[in-house]
Amino acid sequence: MLTEFGKIFVFILIAILFVVVALIAAKIIRPARPTHEKLLTYECGENPEGSPWVKFNIRFYVVALIFLIFDVEVVLLIPWALVYQDYGFTGFAVGAIFLLLLGLGMAYEWRKGDLEWDRPHPIPPVLKKSETDSNLKIPKEEIEVV
Amino acid sequence: MEAPLKYIFDSIQYLKPEVAVSIFLAILVTVDLVLGKKNKQVLPYIALAGLVITGYFVTQQFGTSAFASVQHNIGNFGLIAVDSFGNYFKLIIILSSIFIVLFSISSIEIKQVFDRHGEYYSLIFGMMLGMMLMVSSADLILIYLSIELVSLSSYVLAGFTKQSLRNSEASLKYIIYGGTASGIMLFGISILYGIMGTTNLYAINTILQNGAFQPLALIISCILIFTGFGFKISAAPFHFWTPDVYEGAPIAITAYLSIASKAAGFALLIRFIKVTFIQTIGEDGYWQLLGVIDWKSFLIMISILTMTLGNFSALWQDNLKRMLAYSSIAHAGYMLLGLAVFSDQGVMAILIYFLIYLFMNLGAFFVVMLIANKIGSEEIDEYDGIAYKTPLLAVSLAVFLISLTGLPPTAGFIAKLYLFIALVDAKMIAVAIIALLNTVVSLYYYIRVLKHMFLTKPKVEGERITIGIADTVVLLAMLIPIFLFGLYFTPIVNFAKNSIALLGF
Repeated sequence: MLTEFGKIFVFILIAILFVVVALIAAKIIRPARPTHEKLLTYECGENPEGSPWVKFNIRFYVVALIFLIFDVEVVLLIPWALVYQDYGFTGFAVGAIFLLLLGLGMAYEWRKGDLEWDRPHPIPPVLKKSETDSNLKIPKEEIEVV
Repeated sequence: MEAPLKYIFDSIQYLKPEVAVSIFLAILVTVDLVLGKKNKQVLPYIALAGLVITGYFVTQQFGTSAFASVQHNIGNFGLIAVDSFGNYFKLIIILSSIFIVLFSISSIEIKQVFDRHGEYYSLIFGMMLGMMLMVSSADLILIYLSIELVSLSSYVLAGFTKQSLRNSEASLKYIIYGGTASGIMLFGISILYGIMGTTNLYAINTILQNGAFQPLALIISCILIFTGFGFKISAAPFHFWTPDVYEGAPIAITAYLSIASKAAGFALLIRFIKVTFIQTIGEDGYWQLLGVIDWKSFLIMISILTMTLGNFSALWQDNLKRMLAYSSIAHAGYMLLGLAVFSDQGVMAILIYFLIYLFMNLGAFFVVMLIANKIGSEEIDEYDGIAYKTPLLAVSLAVFLISLTGLPPTAGFIAKLYLFIALVDAKMIAVAIIALLNTVVSLYYYIRVLKHMFLTKPKVEGERITIGIADTVVLLAMLIPIFLFGLYFTPIVNFAKNSIALLGF
């Protein structure tokens, strides 16, 4: 006789088998003709440039975290907005405290300068007048990877 | 419609300390934002005011025993159990927080990062809130949540001075170990919930009393949950983070981790085992546990392993902070024995031990911090002949270390005495002898520091180390109780005796 956990165990077993059987069957059936192009990393049809281990600016994470907080806030506030009138002033106060704390967090980020985005300053190409037109060189634009 | 909200507002009268901590956390952040980059000196005093007010609310709560945020659908059990036992530990946490704030005012390490003092004190308050919920939570969900609140704050605090390499190392090691431990614990909680169908400890106890459960899954889940508690109290197989984190973190934070976080972990462990597995309490105060898991042998095994490992590893340490880390592991082992007795007497011994351990361990860390402020190192060789440069600090460190060993007339003796009385009273003579032998081992590495301080000639003649009046007062505030409680210990014994009552038992 299966207990509740036994059913879950059977479920896990089937899930593992499903993956293993599918992979092995595909390995047996499919033709294997690798070429150089096929083995390359797929970048929307372009040839891959450089290493995939690119360092991302840490600000992206800060922005992502702030986004996450306010995203979750909406999820919590919509049900509150639907029912708070039934609870009278206390219902309003509970939501207000929540919003105040969120506002404090927002003020903290703002004041500490986490919302300032350090923008790159590209150096525009400068034409030097003394040089003749034939060997006019445009300095390569410096691209800062942010 | 009104009902759920009413329960929350009804509980606020029992949650005054927690509410006070939360409000002061918000105040600290706001003041920090308003002040900007200057005038950060006011922050520790706001923190101290908050701690005193919180302490007042906790003392007001003594004697009450009630559930806060009650869930009526599962037999009127609540998320938070407010009782004297929890309040005793809350008081220990607040007391250690006060000392930590005082330490931080004079710590060079913390002074260096003056631009982030607002975060520092608000993180301490966040950690305190987590610990105060930890000591009184009676629900697996709240247990997990509060442990995470404590852990996340302490990960950041352990690596608070970003410039220092060993700070960052400590923080990273802590977060990796901590993440693993809490993951394992969460797995255990999920299994326990799967068996019992409820997360409330009191409700689980009712189900266990009726005897409908699967023993094997229950044992596995409880051992997994113990991993999380063992990590917090640094019990033996889960202690590996302790030396590295204690050595790397700023000394004020190391002291905080060794007292407050450990006290909260112990309170949680005692509450978890007692509330979940108790059957009856005998006339003589001995607990009759349900025969599901042999907690007694399990805890005795863990505690002997913990203290032996802690004491023997401490023998080789040349860094004083690292040595104190191993000694704190060993002390966790002694205190686990108090729980393994499974009697009210054993719990009383733990309560006495913690109050005394607070003064002696914080004191030792404070002296190490003051000396490190001047000579910039905690290596034991740097302490050669330091008694001639600063007699007061050397003598106080000697007193704290002797008290940690447990020699009379210091308070450490009283702490150990009550523990051994509880052990002998429960006829656990063999265990008591092992603990006693461990104490003898610990004598060696504590006295070794004294030898370096008083008997060894310094390699280079250094200048005298002087400390300010404020530091002297803080030092005396920890030094005097060591002698006071060593000679006149009736008040703390009575205080502990009145605080052993858990809600419902």
